[in-house]
Amino acid sequence: MDILKFALRKLIGGIPLILGVTLIAFILMVYFGPDLTYEKLGKNPTAQEIADIRHELGYDQPFAKRYGDYLKQLITLDFGNAEIRDAKVSTILKETMPVSLHLIIPGFILGNIIAIALALFAAYHRGSWIDKFIMTSSVVGMSISFLIVIIVFQLVFSSSFGLNLFPVRGWEVYNANGNIMWGEYFRYVAVPTMSTVFVALGYNTRFYRAVLVEEMTKDHVRTARAFGHKPASLLFKSVLKNAMVPITTRIMFSIPLVVVSGSLLIESYFGIPGVGKVTFDAIIAGDQNILKAIVGLTAVLFVIVLMFTDILYRVFDPRVELK
Amino acid sequence: MNTEVIDFSKMEKGDSLWDKAWYKFKRDNMGKTGAIIVLIYFIIALGVWFGLWGTAWSDTSDLLQADPSWKHLIGTNQIGQDVLTRVIYSTKVAFEVGLVVAVLSTILGAILGSMSGYFSGTWVDSLVLWFMGVLDSIPFYLFVAAVAFALKDNPFAMHIAMVSTFWTGTARVIRGEVIKLKEQEFVEAARSIGVRENKIIFKHIMPNTSHILLVQGTIAFVAAIKSEVILSFLGMGVKDGVSWGLMISESTQDIQAGHFNNFIASSLFLFVLVIAFNMFSDSMQDALDPKKVS
Amino acid sequence: MKIIIKLSLTLLFCFTLVACNNSEPIESNATPAQKENKKYPGKKVYRHSLDGAPTTLDPVRSATIYTSFVVKNVFDTLYTYKYLKRPYEMKPNLAIAMPDVSEDGLVYTIKIKKGVEFQDDEAFANGKGREVHASDFVYSLQRHFDKKFKSQGAWLFSGRIVGLDEWKKQGSDYSKTIEGLQALDDYTIQIKLTAPYPQLVYTLAMGYSGIIPREAVEFYGSEFGSNPVGSGPFILKSFNQEKVVLFKNPKFRKEPLNLAFEGYEESLHEFTEIKSLEGKSPPFIDVMEVNFIKETSSRWNSFTKGNEIQYTTVPKEKSSSVIMTKKPLTLYPQIVDNYHHTFLVESGFVYSGFDMLNPTFGNNGDPVHDAKNKALRCAIRKSFNWDQRNRAFYFNLGTVFPGVITPSVMEFNPNADQESIILDIEGSKELLEKAGWTTQNLPVLEYHTSGRVSSRMFFEQFRGFLKKIGYPVNKVKYKPYPSFGSFNQALKSGKTPFFTLAWSLDYPDAENTLQLFYGPNKSPGSNSFNYVNPKFDTLFRQAKVLQPSPERTKIYQKLNKMVIDDCVIISGLSRNRIYLWHKDVIMFPDRDVLGGAFARYVDVKN
Repeated sequence: MDILKFALRKLIGGIPLILGVTLIAFILMVYFGPDLTYEKLGKNPTAQEIADIRHELGYDQPFAKRYGDYLKQLITLDFGNAEIRDAKVSTILKETMPVSLHLIIPGFILGNIIAIALALFAAYHRGSWIDKFIMTSSVVGMSISFLIVIIVFQLVFSSSFGLNLFPVRGWEVYNANGNIMWGEYFRYVAVPTMSTVFVALGYNTRFYRAVLVEEMTKDHVRTARAFGHKPASLLFKSVLKNAMVPITTRIMFSIPLVVVSGSLLIESYFGIPGVGKVTFDAIIAGDQNILKAIVGLTAVLFVIVLMFTDILYRVFDPRVELK
Repeated sequence: MNTEVIDFSKMEKGDSLWDKAWYKFKRDNMGKTGAIIVLIYFIIALGVWFGLWGTAWSDTSDLLQADPSWKHLIGTNQIGQDVLTRVIYSTKVAFEVGLVVAVLSTILGAILGSMSGYFSGTWVDSLVLWFMGVLDSIPFYLFVAAVAFALKDNPFAMHIAMVSTFWTGTARVIRGEVIKLKEQEFVEAARSIGVRENKIIFKHIMPNTSHILLVQGTIAFVAAIKSEVILSFLGMGVKDGVSWGLMISESTQDIQAGHFNNFIASSLFLFVLVIAFNMFSDSMQDALDPKKVS
Repeated sequence: MKIIIKLSLTLLFCFTLVACNNSEPIESNATPAQKENKKYPGKKVYRHSLDGAPTTLDPVRSATIYTSFVVKNVFDTLYTYKYLKRPYEMKPNLAIAMPDVSEDGLVYTIKIKKGVEFQDDEAFANGKGREVHASDFVYSLQRHFDKKFKSQGAWLFSGRIVGLDEWKKQGSDYSKTIEGLQALDDYTIQIKLTAPYPQLVYTLAMGYSGIIPREAVEFYGSEFGSNPVGSGPFILKSFNQEKVVLFKNPKFRKEPLNLAFEGYEESLHEFTEIKSLEGKSPPFIDVMEVNFIKETSSRWNSFTKGNEIQYTTVPKEKSSSVIMTKKPLTLYPQIVDNYHHTFLVESGFVYSGFDMLNPTFGNNGDPVHDAKNKALRCAIRKSFNWDQRNRAFYFNLGTVFPGVITPSVMEFNPNADQESIILDIEGSKELLEKAGWTTQNLPVLEYHTSGRVSSRMFFEQFRGFLKKIGYPVNKVKYKPYPSFGSFNQALKSGKTPFFTLAWSLDYPDAENTLQLFYGPNKSPGSNSFNYVNPKFDTLFRQAKVLQPSPERTKIYQKLNKMVIDDCVIISGLSRNRIYLWHKDVIMFPDRDVLGGAFARYVDVKN
């Protein structure tokens, strides 16, 4: 019951955040955003046609009203029609979000697990050549542009000039009944996952190592060691457990951005019909309805995540109060 | 578990954090290498600023996609421009972007973070936290795209967008630090003799966070340069001039055709600077970490 | 920790196992395309690729070739172009024959085929598609003049059909009849024009003239653009950001292929094996996937893989690994061995132009000022190095031609005076000097374009051209726009003194490019040059009502010369495209004018 009340309070507390995000997003994207009038007109428009389109797009209405409409859309989850495709925004999002999730989850999980493992390994052998090697590799990994990784991986693993092991692009993972075919799923998700993991590994490993090292140098750990506790068990019992707080924070906070915005570049290059591609197309085309939806939903998800994170803190550290 | 062994006999009792940091830094080979490389790049950038080299970056010629020769040491690109000159000019652009964004976002983050930390728990803190939360929850590329649209003609659209999002990282760290610092005796002492609050914040507390600011600044610098690559690829990056990001975007098609000069040169220059800076930043962080010096 | 490492390694191992399992065995009788056919077992599949994506499938907004491609396959048009005949020739599609035109050229009577039915769809009563009637054509055209549907093609018919514009002004009431657009009976259409319009038949072959059942528009409302319902050879199965999947329409009328009629020539088409399709009724495939792949590396990798897309245009950066010699155009043996190919000049062109209403480079009424500016424009044009541009960006395959009559139309004159496309630095400098231009008084040239990476390179090369005639580098500025839409808007609001654009022909008639200089079409119309020359306009109006003839061609040439003489445009280059397709696909593809209408004749070998 306590937890529920806590959750509710956090959610309500998050409302100013949602309002803030939507206001800024609205100002930037919609108010100052691209004027789509001429996009929608044909080659030789008349003045009347132009006025009609502008009215249609709402350009001739006052700021407050347009912002109010936006909030209403967010609550009812009805963002109208998209520009990039002739369908309702909600339909498009409903189709593409699950795809992005399926795409991102393996990379996300693997990226974090492998990073934590490497970080533990490096922290355990702190100062040795193993540690230096892992850290240098991380820095190298962090310094290579994502774009380059994608292009090279596609060339090496998928194309007929490389190993030709995986499909170049596409997402044919559903059979006729709409159920997922796991074999096909593995084939299509492999190279994108490898790219994501490669890029994220550097950042994650460094971060986790820093957190772990910070924990390791804490007094209570040094004391335990002085008392003769075995290093390995120390690593798991004290260090990792206490480091879970910042680790969890990081993982949780990367969720909204990953889930809602998907991965623009990956979906474009690998032809995966997810939310990232939609966002990418929407940015290029200036599709305000879709951008409004995505930013709004990201904000809401962010607040929910904040709430869960606080709850999780309690789980890992009983000293934290559910204030 | 291993621990660093440092010969503390060489240090003296009254040494400040900075002295001890410098001592540690001098013995960190990777960090030194990083610093030297960064310095070399900086000199290159300075040279471009003073017009010593790299000024002919926009000259085109009839030698398209040429291989390396004495006239063009790294060959030419699709429209006959000298790759070496462009890559050198891009160093200046990178430093401009990096420095502007790093300095501004660090300053902004320091001020807001300090205020938020000092007044933690009050409305000031809540306001700043709220603002940080709002900015953090807008996906970065969407934000930059929106700013790019909103500030159509402004050549600093990209810089503004970056500063607006990077300051939150610094602010959060500073806030945490200030919360700890304000409980310390020197603050209590200042308050008891009647020093005004904003003086306490800016003259007493903030300088004690300078080591954090330095590290955060370097992180922002690297983040700025790296973001510029993707932004240029999306068409939202540097407007006038050339940058590594633009060169990489130009050359992604060239490599399909088997012309690697442009791509390798720009990627390598970028890569080396980023690594060097990262190494430098890491060893600075290690050196300035007060826990390791005690 | 050891557990974690073990776990991760096992996962990775499984990954590789699964991946290896799926690689093809060395001996197999199935073609690569078939092995990928897990999704459509037992069906003939063809995988097409487009270098962009449609944003809608509603004919009324069929402005891009991407939308047009799908529209021409799902919907019927009255007319279309013959499959193989080049230059393009029209033929009846839903119509029975070419239109019956009255003496004065004002009344067109068109009879449509009987017994043609719309596809089955829940929009219809009992889910069964009904017969297509003449009234459906009338309805489809009326939609262009109903502001509810945000038509992008209305300009093709504006002011030309008696009563149509008034009908729109009076509120687009579908119960009212329009004098110039009527269904005389279920199978007869009558169109009355306000003035002769020789290009009308062309417009009836465009995606804009797709024939739509009213029931579908009413049933799907604003989502009609993702749920097209027509009477074409294919039915839409799915549509997302990545591709469109079309299934064969079982109800499509049976019309045996007559190759001689379609323009088959042994010497040109024998390699395609289209001969095997003589006498059979299209469509021949069961499923067509149209993949939208803008990223060239991705598309090329997918094409060369063997079991993904089966068609692509050759991206520019692949040119050197595909093309062996340029004149004559031959490809490397390994390409020729594996794929069929053809190359076509696009039916459009790229150019740069000046805004004549902007006094920087244009006119302001003062004869001295105007003459000085004309010299400046002509000087800039003389500095333009088409050869270098062609080599840098088009692999030297582009066709450079003077003026605006493109190589793809009949009226093209390969022997026209080439002076306006020849590089002449000395001549340019002379012009500048004589007119009194110096590095001090030269105006700043703002190069407006949409801000893609390639646009920037175009700009830098152009700046290099200007440098050679003494134009100070800091007076040539790059003005990119974040998207094509915002650039287009600036263009139409007269904010772009100098711009670079591309134009695709809507139909194979030079009128389509000459109208770019017709006074009344000035901004926000397509005359972005805001060129207003009364002599040009008079001649243009004269030519507009003429059928193709030597007389009309002469007038076209005169108009072309006027545009060239006034140095309004730096023009132009038509890109040559190489089309490649897998050898198990029997077809002769076209991207521009015939567009998607070739897809019904595609066959895939077993």
